[in-house]
Amino acid sequence: MKRRDFLRSTTALLGSGLLGAMPTVLWAEDAPVKGGTLIWGHSETTQNLDMHQTGTASSGRVLQSIHSSIVTVDKDLKVIPGLAESFEVAPDGLTYTFKLRPNVKFHNGQVMTSADVKYSFDRCRDKATGAVNFEVFNNVASIDTPDDATVVIKMSSVNAPFLSRLAENGAGVVMPKDSGPTQGTNPMGAGPFKFVSYEVGTVVKMARHEEYWDGPAFLDAVEAREITEPTTRLTGLRTGELHMINDIPLDRVSELQADATLQVKTWFPLNFDFINLNHTFKPFQDPKVRIAFDMIIDKEALMQGALWGQGATTPSPSFPTSASYNHDLKQRPQDIEGAKKMLAEAGYPEGSLNIVFKATTNYPYHVEAAQILVEWFKSAGVNLTIEQLTWADWLTQCWVNKDFQMTMINFFTLWEPDFLYFSVWNSTGAFNFRAINDKVIDDLTVQARTVVDDTARADIYKQVQKQIWEQSHDIILWFRNGTIGAQTKVGGLDTVVHPNGSNLNFHKVWLKA
Amino acid sequence: MKRFKTTKGLIGIVLLLAILLVAILGPMLIPADASTAMDMHARRSPPTWVHPFGTDQLGRDMMFRVILGARTSLEIAVSAVVMSVVLGLPLGLISGYFGGFIDNVLMRLVDTLLAFPALLLALTISAVLGPNIQNTIIAIGVAFTPYLARIIRGEALRVAQMPYVEAARSSGTTDIMIMIRHVLPNILPAVIVQGTISLAFAILAEAGLSFLGLGTQPPAASWGLMIQASRDQLDIAPWTALVPGLAVALTVLGLNMFGDVLRDILDPRAK
Amino acid sequence: MTYIINRLLSVILTLFLITLVTFAVTNILPGDVAMMIMGTQSNPEALSGLRQSLGLNDPLLVQYGHWVGGMVSGNWGNSLIFKKPILELLSQKAVASAIIVIMSMMIALALAIPLGVWAAVHRDRWQDTVSSSSALLGVSLPDFFWGIVMILVFARWLGWFPSSGFVEPSVNFWGTLQHAFLPSLALGLGLMAHLTRMTRSTMTGILSQEFIRVARAKGLAERTVVWRYALANAIGPVITIAGLQIGYLFGSIIVMESLFGYTGMGWLTYQALLNRDLPLIQDTVFVIAAVVMLTNLAVDLLYIVIDPRIRLG
Repeated sequence: MKRRDFLRSTTALLGSGLLGAMPTVLWAEDAPVKGGTLIWGHSETTQNLDMHQTGTASSGRVLQSIHSSIVTVDKDLKVIPGLAESFEVAPDGLTYTFKLRPNVKFHNGQVMTSADVKYSFDRCRDKATGAVNFEVFNNVASIDTPDDATVVIKMSSVNAPFLSRLAENGAGVVMPKDSGPTQGTNPMGAGPFKFVSYEVGTVVKMARHEEYWDGPAFLDAVEAREITEPTTRLTGLRTGELHMINDIPLDRVSELQADATLQVKTWFPLNFDFINLNHTFKPFQDPKVRIAFDMIIDKEALMQGALWGQGATTPSPSFPTSASYNHDLKQRPQDIEGAKKMLAEAGYPEGSLNIVFKATTNYPYHVEAAQILVEWFKSAGVNLTIEQLTWADWLTQCWVNKDFQMTMINFFTLWEPDFLYFSVWNSTGAFNFRAINDKVIDDLTVQARTVVDDTARADIYKQVQKQIWEQSHDIILWFRNGTIGAQTKVGGLDTVVHPNGSNLNFHKVWLKA
Repeated sequence: MKRFKTTKGLIGIVLLLAILLVAILGPMLIPADASTAMDMHARRSPPTWVHPFGTDQLGRDMMFRVILGARTSLEIAVSAVVMSVVLGLPLGLISGYFGGFIDNVLMRLVDTLLAFPALLLALTISAVLGPNIQNTIIAIGVAFTPYLARIIRGEALRVAQMPYVEAARSSGTTDIMIMIRHVLPNILPAVIVQGTISLAFAILAEAGLSFLGLGTQPPAASWGLMIQASRDQLDIAPWTALVPGLAVALTVLGLNMFGDVLRDILDPRAK
Repeated sequence: MTYIINRLLSVILTLFLITLVTFAVTNILPGDVAMMIMGTQSNPEALSGLRQSLGLNDPLLVQYGHWVGGMVSGNWGNSLIFKKPILELLSQKAVASAIIVIMSMMIALALAIPLGVWAAVHRDRWQDTVSSSSALLGVSLPDFFWGIVMILVFARWLGWFPSSGFVEPSVNFWGTLQHAFLPSLALGLGLMAHLTRMTRSTMTGILSQEFIRVARAKGLAERTVVWRYALANAIGPVITIAGLQIGYLFGSIIVMESLFGYTGMGWLTYQALLNRDLPLIQDTVFVIAAVVMLTNLAVDLLYIVIDPRIRLG
């Protein structure tokens, strides 16, 4: 019932290559009109409304319309001005200077000043706040406000991804000074919509902020009704109770696309999925076994089976249009006989390997994928058994305690390569829950941090991808699509999805009369 | 009227035997792979000549799954109910027979368990012991125990007041002997009837637990897991729910008809 | 009177036991809310910071003392995921659940009593079979199945009722009832089977008794005999079973409320459990357990009023 996309947040910026927009609906030709309340069927329950303290995709998705960040990204993931009209990074990478936009008004009518920015960043850094993204500010030595419109941040050491991580609300949000204690119940910021009310589990109501710095929104109000059950949500869209829903179940996308009374928007990629092998488990310490496992899997068939075609297979987790994506890699084709031979060479003849695959019920398509895998592994002489875990149990067992043999998880595409490759594959990386320990990757990911030239840096990451693939440390599967369904009367649907692929922003959405 | 009663019992017995036969013979006649073999070109196929009961979301044949799932479902249900009887019988018997302080203490324990949401219990068992069939049986068995204990206590309370029990007591027979010789045989009908009804609930309980990851682990088939999997596709593939649902319904019907007849035979009061 | 005092004392003892069991079980559950909030962003350093700020690091006995002491003094703590006082959440959600619990019980009784009487009157004939089979069909498929059927039939195809959601009764009471109807109907179908069987078996017993024969002999219409005389005597045990089913019902609303996005106690409990929000789990479970127990108590006392002959014990 609960499908939660975690790892939204600051770390997970990604682009919105737009695929599969509805060809039959030509909403772009209509001129926007003002007015109306949009009813959105939200797939998840909003939790804590404090932007700093929330790490769940659900709350972030709602708060995106309420808050603005100091900087933001365009659809090519380039950092562009947000609440700061300009920003400057010193050549040594140790000083960041932000010039704030004049006359930005918060929802309470106050004009934003540098004191609010300092307050917000200090609040995020303060461990007592319990901010999910406090480590973004780890290298910050000081935050100064020489005047009302200027913020100067000094770093104690270079932190290349700093600016891009400020482009998401989790770290870059600016709140009115001293509003911290009430943010959890009454979130207030400088975004296009004001928070009106939240009935826990039922609905979040927002109203237009007339003095939004980027011009007022078209809609009078937005109601985010929380409907976690997919069938119920689909029914609400079909009966017209809802104008829009996010997260169409993947098996239903084509059905809705065929319905002329609805528009469907899918975008790519929402996240990438990969199969994880625990490197502390003896058989998986042998690269031959890992490669053989890779060879057992037909990725395209698995994608069709589990995602109903709503995705694209990839051998690399890099953002597809990014400079560091290694186009020379190809996924290993399925070769069951070859895999059997390799397993035998590694000392595991047919029938000798018994592997437990832990799949979380939080992502039903993981359970479907696992069931398909069982059949292939059976024909390769490997006995795979599935254990289904709730999200809490998966996090405890696999993520934190590393108590698993084989599992699968998804990440929102981390487009910043240092963040992606260092944290997921470096032996000291925070997200290296498979205990991968590869000297080559360790050296490359450390070396890349000192390389200034973009092309040279991208080349290093291409080598990292090659190493991951050659060693088959993980089995990278695919990029998965994001989906939205809406009535045809909803205009501006193209603008709803934030470049990060997870958040929704209703600033430029309107309802046709 | 009399004739109908026997017909009803007969139907019940025939139904139950047929289901048992399927559960026992199915796995002997049909290779186990048949329930997990996938046909990606026939996903959610409605009933056809090739797939008489249709296929599920992964193109697996519903007929094979429902036949091979029978055994798993019945095994889970029977084991769980047996477990709850084994736990609940002594609890209820002692409580009802002795009454007073012992009764009070035991029944407060039972009340506590009764008032406790089974979902929390299931989540804890799944998280601590791990999700598999054995732990599913434990979860269902423990959740059913307080109900059984309550019913058995009530019966034991009634029987303990009977003149023949008083007589046995005054003739110096030990409590344990009285419980075994006089009380137990007289409460057995109620236990059996309650047991048959609980079986039906146990089959369904597995469907609920599958939702939390407990229960039969996929891709193995069980009726509960199949019903659970039909959840998101009821409108476009209703057969995925109706096929296992009908299997449960027939079993429940058979058990109840059989249970009614059994009660009439065992319980002299229900004339 | 002593019976009632004893019964009340045992309620307090049971409530104490419930706090112990709840606290023990929730603390055995691995994982915590800090991990759920951070998801796959959790790393040891960030987790320990968040745990500290959420107060998860106190010793167990201290936590138990805080919890029980807090409840007694009216301070029920805050939900860690929703950042709201639990008492406030509970008071909002309890009304929602009370509505569907009552409504589903009324629907179940309204269906089960006529069906059960009908079966008893035509005992061992085809009507009996039809009655018990249709009642059994209700329990042959799980609650969520009937819930989805209701959504598809009454919301999507007929469009008579809203497919999901909840409206505050203070805002629009009629709207609340409309939203409550489909989940209640689905729950009612599940409750019906047991009640129908109970009605049938009690009625069968009573219809064969002496006073019914006398009434018939006096030439009273069969309808009056059955519905006035027999049913009046059968209603007690049926109500008792209905009361005992309240416990079962509180288990079912967890699934049904979540399915319909009807945000009552069941939904709240489910959210608390999934998110490992320990204070919220403990409080919701305690409240549900207390309500179930008090209902059972009320049923017992009611029974004494209805049928004073009952043995007290």
